[in-house]
Amino acid sequence: MKKFVFKIAVVLMMVLTVLSFAEKAKITIWAWDPNFNIAIMQEAANRYMKINPNVEFDIVSMAKADVEQKLNTILASGVKTGLPEIVLIEDYNAQKYLQSYPGSFADLTKEFNYKEFANYKVKLMTLNDKVYGVPFDSGVAGFFYRRDYLEQAGFKPADLENITWDKFIEIGKTVKAKTGKYMIAADPFDGGLMRILLQSAGAWYFDKSGKPYIANNPVLKEAVRLYKEIKDSGIAKEVSGWNEWVGAFNKGEVAAVVTGVWIIGSIKAEKSQSGKWGVAPVPRMNIKESVNASNLGGSSWYVLQNSKNRNVAIDFLKKIYARDSEFYQKILVERGAVGTWLPAQGGSAYKAKDPFFGNQQVFQLFSEWMKKIPAVDYGIYTYEADAAIMSVMPDVYTGKLSIDEALKKAEQQFLNSIK
Amino acid sequence: MSWSKKRIGIERVWNRWGWIFISLMLVGVVMFIFYPIVYSLYLSTFSTRGFLKTFVGFGNYIKLLQDTYFILALKNILVILIVQVPIMLFLALIFATLLNDPRLKFKGIYRTALFLPAVTSLVAYTILFRMMFSNEGLINNFLTSLHIIKEPIRWLLDPFWAKVTLIIALTWRWTGYNMMFYIAGLQNIPMEVYEAAEIDGASKTVQFFKITVPLLKPIILFTSITSTIGTLQLFDEPMNLAAGVVTGSSVGPGNSLLTPSVYIYNVCFKYSPNFGYASAISYVIVMIAAVLAFIQFKVAGERR
Repeated sequence: MKKFVFKIAVVLMMVLTVLSFAEKAKITIWAWDPNFNIAIMQEAANRYMKINPNVEFDIVSMAKADVEQKLNTILASGVKTGLPEIVLIEDYNAQKYLQSYPGSFADLTKEFNYKEFANYKVKLMTLNDKVYGVPFDSGVAGFFYRRDYLEQAGFKPADLENITWDKFIEIGKTVKAKTGKYMIAADPFDGGLMRILLQSAGAWYFDKSGKPYIANNPVLKEAVRLYKEIKDSGIAKEVSGWNEWVGAFNKGEVAAVVTGVWIIGSIKAEKSQSGKWGVAPVPRMNIKESVNASNLGGSSWYVLQNSKNRNVAIDFLKKIYARDSEFYQKILVERGAVGTWLPAQGGSAYKAKDPFFGNQQVFQLFSEWMKKIPAVDYGIYTYEADAAIMSVMPDVYTGKLSIDEALKKAEQQFLNSIK
Repeated sequence: MSWSKKRIGIERVWNRWGWIFISLMLVGVVMFIFYPIVYSLYLSTFSTRGFLKTFVGFGNYIKLLQDTYFILALKNILVILIVQVPIMLFLALIFATLLNDPRLKFKGIYRTALFLPAVTSLVAYTILFRMMFSNEGLINNFLTSLHIIKEPIRWLLDPFWAKVTLIIALTWRWTGYNMMFYIAGLQNIPMEVYEAAEIDGASKTVQFFKITVPLLKPIILFTSITSTIGTLQLFDEPMNLAAGVVTGSSVGPGNSLLTPSVYIYNVCFKYSPNFGYASAISYVIVMIAAVLAFIQFKVAGERR
């Protein structure tokens, strides 16, 4: 009898140990940049484990294309296993995933106070009045310039504030004539600048109801004209690919860079240029709706509806990404990540002056511009539309097609490809 | 009588073991090759977006006929097929003939040097070519310093030159590979034939066209078919040559490097995911490959 009791006690203890091990919820996360979102998630995980020790994290780093491939294939196959709790999705792709795989992502509308996040970010992850993601980094655009080159060409920092693109091109011509430097480096077939231009006017390739709006879209027409004008004016050094592009400003070959705030890390990588840079609001288009604020890129976190530890994952995102202001200061200083949770922007790191940019309060400026970014519905066909526009650009550059004709052709191609 | 019965019995046993041994492989082939082939044919009759499926019958195939990107992709590889494949096979043939000369010394070194590109990784060599052919890359610097060109060539920024770059890269990578087949073939041609031709006063050029080429015909046919199929499936090179600054909106300047395989990838993973349409495209590619192979057989006059 004694033996029997002992046996039962042993079994009970074993069961209990197993149970307590099983209690440790595992959260798997997929993201793609070891120096950026992976490192930031690691920091967030470390912070959360202090609040909730019964959690462990598996943060998986893959190439961005691989994350998208895996997500697409697993979701399309309909199996319920193999997916992570949390996945990072590029903002331009958000609606595509939400609409192609309905029910796969957790509805977080009631979990977060979305008024605390940048408005344009919340809009792009909203479908049928439900919000499905946690806004992460911003791609708020800026006009980074070389103080020394522009001064040499006779421009003061004040001359660069709140200008139009036409003025920008004028300045570029003067810079080219007086210093011999190009104004910017650009790949004539990259859609990045196009996205900055369109969003600054609150426009996109689609109208408010999501219908394709290419052929007679005045904003798009003006944007294509600017692409051609930039090329014809000779202010742009033509590059192909990321490395050449970054190389152009690291080597001091260009006077300016107009892109998302995430480029700061690459600009500051060239330490010898410290103090020579400045930053101004992104130029606006010569169109009534266009403002001196725009966006390029950025991504957000999404929770998979059928994942095992969904609720823990949501709690984790809530406690860190919507509460921990310290966390946002740290990732800003260490990684240059401009978060989109507005309460964090009152923090000390945001107010810091950066000697690299001539003691400008760089991040303060960016967070102010961030609030002005017009919200745009990227729809589900951004990449298709991009490709359609860029495939007619060679004929626009050579003058074989007028802009109207080219846009008509692009719209036709686009419609064919989404039919 | 009893002897032969026994023999059949043994054969049955042998057969059974044979089947058991290959059964694992057969299951694998059925699961991972036959099933996907049949399933993708079924899938190609649907238009999908993620897991939303609509039956369209032949709709995808009809859509393909009007899809300007698909037609552009076909045009792009047609250029490669007409320009690059003949150049590459001709070069391979010349190299093979030169290397087959019994008087040539250090054969091993030349052979290795010519074959080495064929064992390099596709991605690695494409990235290398991308760097070499960038605006201020090795090639442009070399050509300008020799005063062959005044302005740098816009290799990867101009639709025409982008294709030239792709053709150069492909030729570098695959010439040695095809050369090996020719060398193997040449070794089966007896030297006496050439000696006899020489005594009869045939020049080297005549020997090449009247002896080497006709005797190598089956191998030339084989390499041209594999190269054609390879061109139809071209993926790694254009994909990596065309990586853009931020968005990679088009595959090479003005989509000049778009190939059917890259398009299939984009339809699945970059654009709104339409696996049904992608399956239809792959079926069309298979059919095109089959037709081209058939034509090559006919042209080469292969008889059984």
